[in-house]
Amino acid sequence: MEPLVQRIDILRRTFDEACRGIADIKVLQDLRNKFLSRKRGYLAQLLEELKSLPVSERPEAGGRINVLKDYIQSRLDEAERTLAATTTASPRIDLSLPGRTRLWGAPHPLMLVTQEIEAIFLSMGFAIEEGPEIETDYYNFEALNFPPHHPARDDWDTLYTTDNLLLRTHTSPVQIRVMERRKPPIRIICPGRVFRHETPDATHLPMFYQVEGLVVDEGITFANLKGTLEYFLKTFFGEKVKIRFRPSFFPFTEPSAEVDIECLVCGGGDAQCRVCGGTGWKEILGAGMVDPQVFKNVNIDPERYAGWAFGLGVERVAMISHQLPEIKSFYENDLRFIRQFMIK
Amino acid sequence: MKISLNWLKDHVKLDLPLPRLLDRLTMIGLIAESWEDKDGDTVLDLETYANRPDTLGHLGVAREVAAALGLPLEEGRWPVVESSEDTAASAAIQIQDEDLCPRYCGILVKGLKVGPSPDWLRRRVEAMGLNSVNNLVDVTNYVLYETAHPIHAFDWAKIGGRTIVIRRAKKGESLKTLEGREVALGPDQLVIADEIRPVALAGVIGGEDSAVSETTRDVFIESAYFDPVSVRRTAKTLGIQTDASYRFERGADIGFPPKAALRAASLLTQLGGQATRGVLDVYPHPRKNRIVMLRHQRTQDFLGVVIEAGEVERILTALGFSCEPQGAGLWKVEVPSFRIDVEREADVIEEIARFYGYDRIPSVATPLKVGEPVVNRRRERIDKIRRLLFHYGFDEVLNQSFADPEKEARFGTGREPVVLRNPISTRASILRTTLAGSLLETVSYNLNREFTGVHIFEIGNVYFRLNEQPVEQLTLGLAGLGPLGYRNWNSLWEEPDFFDLKGTFEALMAQLRLVPFDFTAGSCPWLEPEQSLDLRYKEEKVGSLGCLKKDLALTHGLLGSVWMAEIDLTGLLAKTPPVFQTVPVGRFPSVVRDISFLADRSLPYQDLRKAVEKLGLAALESFDLADRYDGEGVPPDKVSLSLRFVFRHPQRTLLADEVDKMEQKLLLHLQSAFRIEPRTGGSIDNRARKN
Repeated sequence: MEPLVQRIDILRRTFDEACRGIADIKVLQDLRNKFLSRKRGYLAQLLEELKSLPVSERPEAGGRINVLKDYIQSRLDEAERTLAATTTASPRIDLSLPGRTRLWGAPHPLMLVTQEIEAIFLSMGFAIEEGPEIETDYYNFEALNFPPHHPARDDWDTLYTTDNLLLRTHTSPVQIRVMERRKPPIRIICPGRVFRHETPDATHLPMFYQVEGLVVDEGITFANLKGTLEYFLKTFFGEKVKIRFRPSFFPFTEPSAEVDIECLVCGGGDAQCRVCGGTGWKEILGAGMVDPQVFKNVNIDPERYAGWAFGLGVERVAMISHQLPEIKSFYENDLRFIRQFMIK
Repeated sequence: MKISLNWLKDHVKLDLPLPRLLDRLTMIGLIAESWEDKDGDTVLDLETYANRPDTLGHLGVAREVAAALGLPLEEGRWPVVESSEDTAASAAIQIQDEDLCPRYCGILVKGLKVGPSPDWLRRRVEAMGLNSVNNLVDVTNYVLYETAHPIHAFDWAKIGGRTIVIRRAKKGESLKTLEGREVALGPDQLVIADEIRPVALAGVIGGEDSAVSETTRDVFIESAYFDPVSVRRTAKTLGIQTDASYRFERGADIGFPPKAALRAASLLTQLGGQATRGVLDVYPHPRKNRIVMLRHQRTQDFLGVVIEAGEVERILTALGFSCEPQGAGLWKVEVPSFRIDVEREADVIEEIARFYGYDRIPSVATPLKVGEPVVNRRRERIDKIRRLLFHYGFDEVLNQSFADPEKEARFGTGREPVVLRNPISTRASILRTTLAGSLLETVSYNLNREFTGVHIFEIGNVYFRLNEQPVEQLTLGLAGLGPLGYRNWNSLWEEPDFFDLKGTFEALMAQLRLVPFDFTAGSCPWLEPEQSLDLRYKEEKVGSLGCLKKDLALTHGLLGSVWMAEIDLTGLLAKTPPVFQTVPVGRFPSVVRDISFLADRSLPYQDLRKAVEKLGLAALESFDLADRYDGEGVPPDKVSLSLRFVFRHPQRTLLADEVDKMEQKLLLHLQSAFRIEPRTGGSIDNRARKN
């Protein structure tokens, strides 16, 4: 055993000698092979020699070899770390090369805007409700206080199916369905696809997205309508945006209002503004106090309860907030357009 | 509605700059869409509402403006040059269908000389965007645009007999209209007739035969009230819309016909004619003005602001309402006949709000009462799907719901489409039964615009009929072609294949916690049967994924494999996933063993997987296909597979012996179930997790 122990010590010294001043990774690699290679490394040879020792001596000698192996291993690892630390600082890699990015799919802008709107109302305790797109005349018109043959229907040009159902012209039928089903307090928004018999132009398409909202409870006032919608618009368009409520007409609300925000392009300063036509205002949504007749139609007592409702076109809001002139850009699905919303 | 400021000033003494006037108009609900200066006048284009026919004339708009500015309204004085001839002696009116015509007035103006209008009249008519025709026609238009009440002039010489009859048309009757169109009539239409034949479609258009012309000398002026629904139906059915029908179908002022007749007579006599004495007025059942009770408290409750009683009265009076106090906080409000829109207390409150000013009503957040929980799980899960697909590199698109039946037929979905009765165009005459069509168009649109790889999805409804009933099915559609991701200087730009698609849906099902799910042979009619699968959850098919049929790809100008999927989200989201639970992290080391063997090429991996699962080894934590090789050294009908098994015991370290036994058991089990040849040397002991 003696010679083996001596050889272990010699090997250790030899290693220490060789290990001094390793200049590059190549030398280090050679050293590692020389000592630790499983087949021809010095240590492997020593281990081979173990077999020639009597069984009783093997554990001790083996232990020593292992100690040396661990020692060499750790010295080499340390040397490698030192080397690595110096080489990374070397100019061989051009760190200005572009990083490797992964593609992350982009959301459609209309879904993005819908979700932004939803988030604001969700934070105020509104629930999201949905309903069918193929509707009956009753839910789309009659229950909403559009008598048959009323000229007000002209403002909601309608697409009909062959069996006299229709494609809902607004998501208001969802409001009716919810009021039929549930007792106040009600506080909902209804997003979804709606349809109109419209010839496509820069700002109209026969299908678009809406978000409508409804609140029904005791003691609800027009002041509440104003307060909540102002909060919504300021959250969406910014604290400083100017808002105007003006009288309008919808069969299902009384009083009715249209809500304008100041023109985001000219702020009212340009009489020739192409966006607002010089008025300084852009119409953003319609609203009003729920008409008592609508309440009667769903068996809610208008003497006890009051409510307010609003409706907006998602495309319109998106066009105004992103200053897009053409509604069709939402449905061309040009990925050069859609991918811009990846970072929004 | 066009409003000339000069004309408006006839009725209200306006004296404020245009921007201020426009602002005041806007804040009472009369918004000018545009305006233009014309011959020293300014003409506004006011937006008007279907419930306010009274604002379809200058007088009505002046009433609103006067109320808003606190100025008096001047209705004007309409002197008539009368002859000694009594109207009643020369003409008679007979209403046969009072339900459709409750009031009809008439007066004769004789001795007219038809010719060019005087300048003032021509300018007014032109301000309304009309061409001046002659003094007679211009006067009828003038009255309409001034009072909002349509009137009609018949050439008295062309009227057969001396009685004007208002009746439903008889079957077989017809009328040649002023437009020169011959229209067939029936009992659904109300007509004005002489003793022989119809001479006008009541409230819609006059007849050519009785129309005034250059040679007309005597006219019969009609001023009536016609039933709005009847006028609307007639106008709609015959496809004729006129300034008159537009107003009658919205509801004329039933109190106004005699005044409109006088107004016309006044103007015509100023132009040289002489009116007969007295307006014939047939009004068998005069209607009383509506009465609405208004509670002061209700105004406050509804608007959220206290408006003083004095102000309420001032507003209503200025608008032509009369209010009579009925004790404290209660008024009996009489609604003038021109305000057909005001029927209930809420309508009166709207008037108060409008003239009090929406801008003066405070803004108060809606008080929150906690009702039902607001979370919408379904939408949350849809959003989970979207986020997963973004992560996998798919962009989101949205398409219109319409489809071209011809193009749709190519997909052979076998679904009966929902057909539109009045489509915008024949190419959009049905609702889509699959998302595939519009997705493919989107793919090819983008390939034509500098994209090499397009990977997109849409979530939206498809529509079809099931047992004749329309069904809306929320659907996820997905399409991908070409390389995915960015081309980069140091990374591969890879084209996904079927297994990328499949992996996406495996991940999606895992995200929704709808496991275990299953794939079976593809049944989607527009996917290659050999390269597609159906996705199933609890035996139920929820969708398909695979390679688009080559001929369909070519139809869309697409070369290469188009990987597509369509998943029924209505069905999928109706499933309740198990409650989320964590699994304790294993505290003892795992043992990994690979088993390699040659198998028949025809043996589906799925069968192997199921066989292993069936064995139910408790300590088998997981297993996967680690390698698959069919190159050199493997017989052509065989394939070399390596399954990697991970064993772990929850309470202790596994012994090598135990693992050996389990491995043996697995191998024997697979050997007994399938024709496989184990390969030696492929098996490694990997206790230290190193190869």
